[in-house]
Amino acid sequence: MKKRPKFDYLYCVSCGICAQACPVSALGMAKEGKAGKYRNLFPEPVKEGCIGCGLCAKACPMGAIEMEDYEDDPR
Amino acid sequence: MTSFAGKILCIDLTTGVSETRSVPEAVYEAVLAGKGLAAWYLYAHIPAGADPLGPENILCFAAGALCGSGSFLTGRWTVACKSPLTGGWGDANCGGLFAPAIKQCGYDAIFVSGVSEKPVYLFCDGRKVEVRDAAPYWGLDATEAENALHRDLDPVCRKKPCVACIGQAGEKLSLISGICNEGGRIAARSGVGAVMGSKRLKAVVLAGTKPMGCADPEAVKALSRELGRKLLKMTMPSGLGVFLGVGGRMMGHLPYLPLDGSLTSLMFKEWGTQGNTSLAITSGDGPIKNWGGTPRDVRLMDMVYNPEHINRIEMAKYHCYSCPLGCGGKLNIRGRQHVTFDDTHKPEYETIQAFGALVLNKSRDSIYEINELLNRAGMDTISAGNTVAWAVECYEKGILTREQTDGLELTWGNTEAILTLVHKMIDREGFGDALADGVKQASEKFGGTEYAMHVGGQEPGMHDARNDPQLGVHYVAEPAPGKHTVGMGIQYGAMSLCDICSWAPPAKLHSKKDDIEDTETMALVSKANACYTMLTDGAGGCYYGQMMGVHMWKLVDYLNAAEGWSYDGDHYMEVGERIQTLRQLFNVKQGYDPAAVALPRRMAGDPPLSDGPLKGITLRNREQVSAHWKAFGWDERTGVPLPETVARLGIPELLSLEGS
Repeated sequence: MKKRPKFDYLYCVSCGICAQACPVSALGMAKEGKAGKYRNLFPEPVKEGCIGCGLCAKACPMGAIEMEDYEDDPR
Repeated sequence: MTSFAGKILCIDLTTGVSETRSVPEAVYEAVLAGKGLAAWYLYAHIPAGADPLGPENILCFAAGALCGSGSFLTGRWTVACKSPLTGGWGDANCGGLFAPAIKQCGYDAIFVSGVSEKPVYLFCDGRKVEVRDAAPYWGLDATEAENALHRDLDPVCRKKPCVACIGQAGEKLSLISGICNEGGRIAARSGVGAVMGSKRLKAVVLAGTKPMGCADPEAVKALSRELGRKLLKMTMPSGLGVFLGVGGRMMGHLPYLPLDGSLTSLMFKEWGTQGNTSLAITSGDGPIKNWGGTPRDVRLMDMVYNPEHINRIEMAKYHCYSCPLGCGGKLNIRGRQHVTFDDTHKPEYETIQAFGALVLNKSRDSIYEINELLNRAGMDTISAGNTVAWAVECYEKGILTREQTDGLELTWGNTEAILTLVHKMIDREGFGDALADGVKQASEKFGGTEYAMHVGGQEPGMHDARNDPQLGVHYVAEPAPGKHTVGMGIQYGAMSLCDICSWAPPAKLHSKKDDIEDTETMALVSKANACYTMLTDGAGGCYYGQMMGVHMWKLVDYLNAAEGWSYDGDHYMEVGERIQTLRQLFNVKQGYDPAAVALPRRMAGDPPLSDGPLKGITLRNREQVSAHWKAFGWDERTGVPLPETVARLGIPELLSLEGS
């Protein structure tokens, strides 16, 4: 079973700590969205290659990232 | 494990030899990292009398102690060296992603000495350190160079590299040039870009993936979560910016009120620093007409620079690493008058004031263009704006002729002429060549020294000491003079330092006239401000974290949790005092005379203004600076740290520690 980050954007403060913690730069501050009325950028996978290390979740001070299990699409 | 990497990288560009050195733990405990680590190393290793643009000068890139620990608002990186602008200590700092990138390479700081024969860039990924040919990037502006380096290196690096580089201004050794990252963020002050240019070092590229440590990560994260949750809830109704000008008019006439730090957080979250512009124009905080004007000279300009206009074209907020606030932003400026770029970083207040009210320029669009031009060139907008304002005043007064200005009609508010002059300064072309080294050098060449606004060679930030005399103390007494970031009365009123420091006076409602006095209390206020700022710099903290106050941004608790210490605020304030004293000792070693530094007469209120909120104010700056030095345990006449102070702070023992 592989792991990947799952984000709870309600608690995300766009600090970028998770993206910088990613050792393969698979995560980036690229998702456009709103925090209240403010237009902000939020973390999202920006390329293939997440190694499921969980460093992003470990680094997030807000507890807004969980690592979830997933299986490759058999197709 | 603490949050210190425990190592520094030292590289000599003359020989190309690099070495990694371990730093004794006692050094971190004495001065933390960031500016403190830089002061420890540079004091010992830059020889007295070194040419700032020669091989003996050392350029330091340092991350703060807390960077990477999970703490918030601690993503600033410091660059330090001997300043070619002042001849003494020079430093600047910036946000973005470069600070954690230093730590992820396994270092707390990188020290670059020597001079390369040809343009090079430094590459480090935590495993190898290489000095590489920078010929393909030399001549590009900072953003172009950064993009080109990403184009070439991203595909071959495991982690996307972070780049700090110079633009044309640094390459051409402009003494008012800085070092840029993240597409035009800039560590702008002290002429640090010229030092990098003199070493023919175009860029530092970091792609490390090492983990960043922390003694108690859960405790640090809990502190961050508490702050983050508060900030998430903070929202100001849109449109209030239109009232800022009126608020400024009131502030100009009211006594000083201690502010709650949450108010500054709200303002920075809503508008960023540009939220200060309308307030500054009408309150007396912001300099007008080369520091000689009053709000009457810029009627309705507070509406032109109303921050709501800028918010309307903000595409998204920009957060530095570890910042939950997001005072920055990216603006869509495509198709605007005078504008040749598609987007720009939201101009800081300093830039807007320096190229707005300071030169009576009413074109907001032109400021977007100037902001992007100078950020890409890597030129300090504060110094450039002060220099242009001097040129305009000299032209208006007949000191400069049209022939000397290459035909430019440099009248107040002439947007086209100002824009052309900025281009000329960046390219060092014609009249712009002399101006590219700042206002001191330009005025010594052309005359008009009485209109040249600089403190010890560096142009002051866009806050008037007549409005906030505490600022005037720091402009003069700070080892890197002219910087506005070391302390202000209004900032002190928001920080509540008395709650962490036993000797820091409480901020009280008081008359502005009290701030002009050279009392012991005022001296303790300025000392506390400077010590806390040095502590913040050692931790890699952001000044807007400071301004939230010690009850929101808990720096002392952060440091104890991240390093496994249990010190109180007094101990940490002494760390700040030690860093400041070490920087002043650096100046003394380099032959810089602190007593020779003074405010420009105009800013000291000599003669006083006859109109506006600053009417009739004359400062007693020299007396206040002497009291400030005395409070630090420095000679009150010369500004030289006294032997007993140096001994009390354990500086001889600190300097005897060597990296191995």
